[in-house]
Amino acid sequence: MGVTVLQQFPIVENRTGPLTIDLLTKRISALGATQQGQFLVDCETFTSIQQLGHQRTVHVLHNSEQPATVFSILETGTKTIPLATDGLFDLLMTKMNNFYTAKKQTKVESKGPRFEIGDFLVKLGSVTITQNFKGVLVEVEYKPCVVPAMCWELMREFLQGFLGSSVPNTPPAYLQNRMQEIYTPIDTIHQYLEQFTMYRKSPGMRT
Amino acid sequence: MERDLEQLHSALNYLKVLRSNVGQVFETVSNGLGANHGEEGKENKFMIELQELLTTVNNNLRDIETTVSNLTTPTGPFNLGNTSYLSQETTQERQALYSQLVNSYRWTDKVRDYSSLAGNILATNSVSKTYKTLSTTKRRKTQTSNHNVPPEVIESLITSIDRLFPDVTITASRPFAPNPIIQASLGRVLKSIIAFKGLMIEWVVVKAHSESNDLWTESRYRVLRKVTENCHAAMCHFHSPTMPELAVRSFMHWFHSYNTLFSSPCKRCGNYLHSNLPPTWRDLRTLEPYHEDCK
Repeated sequence: MGVTVLQQFPIVENRTGPLTIDLLTKRISALGATQQGQFLVDCETFTSIQQLGHQRTVHVLHNSEQPATVFSILETGTKTIPLATDGLFDLLMTKMNNFYTAKKQTKVESKGPRFEIGDFLVKLGSVTITQNFKGVLVEVEYKPCVVPAMCWELMREFLQGFLGSSVPNTPPAYLQNRMQEIYTPIDTIHQYLEQFTMYRKSPGMRT
Repeated sequence: MERDLEQLHSALNYLKVLRSNVGQVFETVSNGLGANHGEEGKENKFMIELQELLTTVNNNLRDIETTVSNLTTPTGPFNLGNTSYLSQETTQERQALYSQLVNSYRWTDKVRDYSSLAGNILATNSVSKTYKTLSTTKRRKTQTSNHNVPPEVIESLITSIDRLFPDVTITASRPFAPNPIIQASLGRVLKSIIAFKGLMIEWVVVKAHSESNDLWTESRYRVLRKVTENCHAAMCHFHSPTMPELAVRSFMHWFHSYNTLFSSPCKRCGNYLHSNLPPTWRDLRTLEPYHEDCK
């Protein structure tokens, strides 16, 4: 598990989602990448019922890179508590249906092809909320390095070389506070949740 | 000698010309009268042609005779050394020995040539791998063995290196009696597993922190495999049997420069990435980072 940067790729007018993915696929293949299967990250959100008092939100996420793990992030309003558990957590959530109810129409997914190029892992995900296409998220992982501060410049060069000037010069907001810490899979999940929340808030396509 | 050879060559050439011309005479005679001689006086034409050819043959013959008379006859029989006895060999299977002898003679000749060339080249790039120096004029005192040193000496060397760099942590284990294997972690960047043979570095492998400490498997990351390769090159470069402690120290000093493996751009091209790899080479003296193709 190396440092991962999640980046939104803007959709130009009159270019559809599949066309954008196609364009990026062509670009990354031209750089010498080989496709290594598909990937999927999904997120479902549950809220506590009123009888439990202060409202809490639980986001349950799955990442195909860690297929045996279920990630969940509990938001109490003052704190966010991340949790990594094994697959049974999904069943636990269905048992707790009476206390935590799933929000309607909020299942977000990002899925698409997964590429390997040198020590980099590139994933081109098209984001859908209940089957409606919302935008494109590009995930780039540099596998050998575990400290974001050490390899951010290197990843920026890679990202800008492949996505163009849409990549900002500063690391994503979530990473900025954790540049010196060792990167773990839950950090990727946090970045996905941040992006997904923004997709949920914006109506229509995010460009 | 040189002149003799030249004359011999020209004589052989003349002989070749003569043979080809004689061949032509016979060809003309065997073809007899043909359409190319026309209708009128064809016999005469044929005779004239034949005569011309014969004159050339005559001239060639004269050339040969003059060159042959110029040749000096060798004085006495050739001195073939002991090989002359081979001609007295009577058994069938050994009669081929002479040609084999000539072949092996050529071989040794070539070996001599090549070895003298190689000697010249190696003399300019002397690698201090052996105790022996190429010049035999200086007599050195015999060196003590570096393969067989008391474990305490190695131990003290390792602890001194451990103290030298604050961000290198070293743990040693001794699976093979006195020869330790140390695992040197370089900050949070990478770790290397170094096997010692006495006071000398025997083997280095570079891996990520998440990988096993096995000495024989390569890292699964391309960049660290490249660094391993470069470490092998540096290990050989710094190796010096006469001053093993210094060799280990300078190697560790060089190795320490990898703590900026991911965070420093190439000194030459100024970029971080080249063919999807960060600068994996560190200059052996200045310790500056370079890409594989930029150094």
